[in-house]
Amino acid sequence: MRQIPWEVMLIMLPLTGAMACFFWPRRAITLGLITALGVVVCVAGLGWRVLEQGAQRYAVGGWNAPLGIDLYADGLSLLMLMVTAVVGLGISVYSIGYFERRQAAHFWPLWLFLWTALNALFLSADIFNLYVTLELLGLAAVALVALAGGANALTAAMRYLLVSLLASLCYLLGVALLYHNFGSVDIAILAQRVELSPAVWAAMGLMSAGLLLKSALFPLHFWLPPAHASAPAPVSALLSALVVKASFYILLRLWLEIFPPAGAAPGQLFGVLGSAAVLWGGIQALRQTRLKLLIAYSTVAQLGYLFLAFPLASSVAWKGSLYLLLSHALAKAAMFMAAGNILRFCGHDRIVGLDRVAQRLPVTMTAFALAGVSIIGLPPSGGFIGKWMLLEAALRAGQWWWVIILILGGLLAGAYVFKVIGYAFTRAGVLRQTSRVPMTMEWAALAMALAALLLGLVALWPLSLMEIGLPFGGGDAG
Amino acid sequence: MSAAGRSRHSPAFRWGLLLLLLTVAGGLGYALLTLPDQAVGLSEQVSANMATSGVQNPVTAVLINFRGYDTLLEMAVLLVALLGVWSLGSAEVHRRIDPQPVLSLLVGGLAPLMILMAGYLLWVGANAPGGAFQAGSVLAAAGILLLLSSKRFPVRLMGWPLRIGLLLGLGTFTAVGMTLLFVSGGFLQYPSNLAGALILFIEAAATLSIGVTLAALFLGGRPQAGPYR
Repeated sequence: MRQIPWEVMLIMLPLTGAMACFFWPRRAITLGLITALGVVVCVAGLGWRVLEQGAQRYAVGGWNAPLGIDLYADGLSLLMLMVTAVVGLGISVYSIGYFERRQAAHFWPLWLFLWTALNALFLSADIFNLYVTLELLGLAAVALVALAGGANALTAAMRYLLVSLLASLCYLLGVALLYHNFGSVDIAILAQRVELSPAVWAAMGLMSAGLLLKSALFPLHFWLPPAHASAPAPVSALLSALVVKASFYILLRLWLEIFPPAGAAPGQLFGVLGSAAVLWGGIQALRQTRLKLLIAYSTVAQLGYLFLAFPLASSVAWKGSLYLLLSHALAKAAMFMAAGNILRFCGHDRIVGLDRVAQRLPVTMTAFALAGVSIIGLPPSGGFIGKWMLLEAALRAGQWWWVIILILGGLLAGAYVFKVIGYAFTRAGVLRQTSRVPMTMEWAALAMALAALLLGLVALWPLSLMEIGLPFGGGDAG
Repeated sequence: MSAAGRSRHSPAFRWGLLLLLLTVAGGLGYALLTLPDQAVGLSEQVSANMATSGVQNPVTAVLINFRGYDTLLEMAVLLVALLGVWSLGSAEVHRRIDPQPVLSLLVGGLAPLMILMAGYLLWVGANAPGGAFQAGSVLAAAGILLLLSSKRFPVRLMGWPLRIGLLLGLGTFTAVGMTLLFVSGGFLQYPSNLAGALILFIEAAATLSIGVTLAALFLGGRPQAGPYR
């Protein structure tokens, strides 16, 4: 029997699911959940194949690169697909309780198209195809933000759309320059042919600027807090956990494979901006009075850490950054879900008015606190492992100043997480009417938080997956 | 950003911005001027494989065959753009207009011609410039003309008939790709003797969907009929 090409299924299944949900809006929830489960099965199938046979390459249409488009799955792609599947399943379950029927009919097709875009992006080995997936991802994300309705959400969605289009066009111009110079858009072929020239520097600058804008690295983060804070809770979770990571993933691939000849200077710049993001995002988060805005600024800070791997550029640093990415995806999904529950329960998300939420929504508050453990980077959590590896890489490279950023960022994160937890235990002045929160929403949040914690306990397994196909170069000398 | 927010920017900020943009423009200009001649692109490989592609127009061969997967995702982008507009709000469609006799006559004559034109563009795409996107745009223009001038909005078509029209292109492309996966063993891997027919089949469905999607985008919101009201 022929092998099932799981990479193709991972893209076509959510695409078909999205079409089915669009066609039968009344059955959207059922069809959507079946699709979500199917995608999880496909990720497991691909994971099994990659573990058994190593990195996989699939030529779509039977045309190999450079004429056709290749799909490529190594350990890095696989981990991104896995975290997308876990968070995606959690968000799917969460959304059942969150959306009423009519909103669900809009949510499901868009969410499954977004999932299609994410899977296609993590599997693509072709920089033009990556552009197409970015477009699909960006448009679906903007539409999901607009789903909340109201002036704030629409303004945020509009700004998000403009930023996203500008970033995509920058990236596309870079793709055009690289194709003109080297006659291919396949990453592996470009990696062999690339030679520095002014046009390549321009391509590097344009593509990086576009992707940094999409990944909201300080000072290009201005669009993120309003967009992530005004979206419906499951959408906020999606955006913070997965969508910003997608553009970071492309940036990582480009700098690991095509742009290494550029030397160390751009990496140092990324590191400085990342450090500024950690500090600025942390301080801003501490100053917020609304819970969802606090969490959104926390995302700005946490994204900063990911860029600390660029100046270090060693195998340990890349792995640490990826580990932080994975645990942040799970923890931040849990936090936004918990915030959605609190918003539903209290009718507002003012931090000072959290009025003993801890006693009245214990599961949700547990989820928030456990996610906080990973965000701060305390053991035993995924966040701790990631930070530890970055710390080790910084000391090994003799660049001790990044260690200070890691510690300061952790302290700031501790301060804003405990600020929320503190108010959640105290009695607020005015008593308010509260509404019921469905069980599924509470437990989905807790499941995400536990997964982030689990990532700290089973560190060896993801770390060994990162070795498949050697995306970060061999050994630790790197 | 609101008007109040915009007036906050000081002249120094504006001059700084201008300087930054000029630097970027200067750098890009320099990079473009120093561009080497086009590296050996893919055109040779495209012409070498034209015989098995099923069509004679290299653009169509790249769009639907060699890089058909990109086009498939682009069809999804088009649909998501419409879903995005639909998530913003609904469009008023229960209006009655009284078209002037000249307009009615003109549209009555133009619309069939445009549909014919779309069919021709679709057919000619196999060996000359043309194809699904061009044909779909003409179809959409015909649709918009009809929407603007018809006495009554086609409310009864706004439910599942509209959704079928929107999904047809992406659905057909997906179905053909997946069928080929199970029959010939590769996703979107056309057998060379059937490639021409399959490409025409996909393009015909795509033309219809592109036309319907663009015309629906023109409404500026989800129609107030059917389940998406």
